[in-house]
Amino acid sequence: MSRRRVVIPSEEELERRNTVGIQAEHISNVQATDFPRHYPGEDNSWNINKFRNGFRVQFHKNDPLEASFSLIGIHAAVANAFRRIMIADIPTLAIETVFIENNTSVIQDEVLSHRLGLIPFKGGREGLHSFLKWYKRKPNTATDNLGVSDDHFDYNTVLLRLQVKCTHNEDAAEGERDPRKLYHHAHVYARDIEFVPVGRQARYFSGADAIVPVNPDILIAKMRPEQEIDLSMHMYKGVGSDHAKFSPVATASYRLLPAIKIVEPILGVDAEKFAKCFPKGVIGLRKVTRQEAAKQGSGYEGHEGELKAVVEDPMKDTVSRECLRHDEFNKKVKLGRKMDHFIFSVESTGQWESDAIFLESVAHLKAKCKTFEQQVINMVR
Amino acid sequence: MSRESYQVPTGNSPTFGGSAAFPAREFIPDSSASTMFYICGDCAVRVPLEKGAPIRCQKCGARVLYKERTKRMVQFEAR
Repeated sequence: MSRRRVVIPSEEELERRNTVGIQAEHISNVQATDFPRHYPGEDNSWNINKFRNGFRVQFHKNDPLEASFSLIGIHAAVANAFRRIMIADIPTLAIETVFIENNTSVIQDEVLSHRLGLIPFKGGREGLHSFLKWYKRKPNTATDNLGVSDDHFDYNTVLLRLQVKCTHNEDAAEGERDPRKLYHHAHVYARDIEFVPVGRQARYFSGADAIVPVNPDILIAKMRPEQEIDLSMHMYKGVGSDHAKFSPVATASYRLLPAIKIVEPILGVDAEKFAKCFPKGVIGLRKVTRQEAAKQGSGYEGHEGELKAVVEDPMKDTVSRECLRHDEFNKKVKLGRKMDHFIFSVESTGQWESDAIFLESVAHLKAKCKTFEQQVINMVR
Repeated sequence: MSRESYQVPTGNSPTFGGSAAFPAREFIPDSSASTMFYICGDCAVRVPLEKGAPIRCQKCGARVLYKERTKRMVQFEAR
């Protein structure tokens, strides 16, 4: 048997494989090819050490409500798993049942309940993440005279109340037209919702840790004098796959890092026009140096001191492909995207810190893998 | 008086409200429960109405009356 020829691809070839090509009217090279038996003589099997050496995380922004970071050297399947877990699998607390005693406002009970459900709440982290457990409806539990079952406890249900009545404001100025000044409680806001601690909840959710709406100015309903809303609500823990109100993120998305490659020099007026084809800060203008101008075959000969276009920050690019519409740039630039560079953007609704959502998604994927591993073991047994 | 004791009046037609084998329950007028309250569509006053009385607000004469909201708690899913 002849020994197999071992091929090691060049850096250039690796870069070509790792870049999605973006042309004026189509994209090319969209499929990842880094798996075994695709290229003859190459060993592209997945390797933990190879992954460890190639993987990097870069944080661009880390605010409580918005995080942006890059995962570099990871496969699209895994990056997408993180995104989907963040949207659909991280538990949060949200209003699930509404008990309406009275609602004489113009907004219907069903619509009002739906609006209440979508309001994001925050509270003490320890209480939310470790003290509160899932509410599981047990069959055949006793119900009280209102039909509320008996399996609600301080560790699985949070009670909220909303009691507002619109009244005339006697102190309003003569001829006042603004209903908010003319009446008390003409507008019902999320801040009017009060939290009623039950049992041990007082220990976990008091003071700054109390359960309150993240955005107190969310408008729930508008009322006129003699109209009234009187209701109580139950909050449970849930996941985004059940209902979007349980999703901890407003958006969790990623995009691939744009790659702009200037193949031939773009000089002078063209360079300025080229820079205008991109968002601010993507393309910079530099002067051609003496050494560059002296080098034969560089394309800069005799252009010393002129402006040339250089790529400064491809991350800011929106990949509008504007530059490909102009014939003078068509052959001089290659647009693409890095196939293994994922720029995540995670915007929290406020119950979790935005970076904690991502960390939790990693823990979730790990737990899922553990479960799957056991299933595979059972399968081959 | 209360909503619960109100019974739907049924006619004598066998196709509506019951068959010959299972005749519909006869409507027995109950004097104490015959007064229902409605809300006037014009002046928002509570209007008591006897059975058979003209549908009209005693205060302003408007002919549009609304049913009162139930006094019971109503449960909804916030979805």
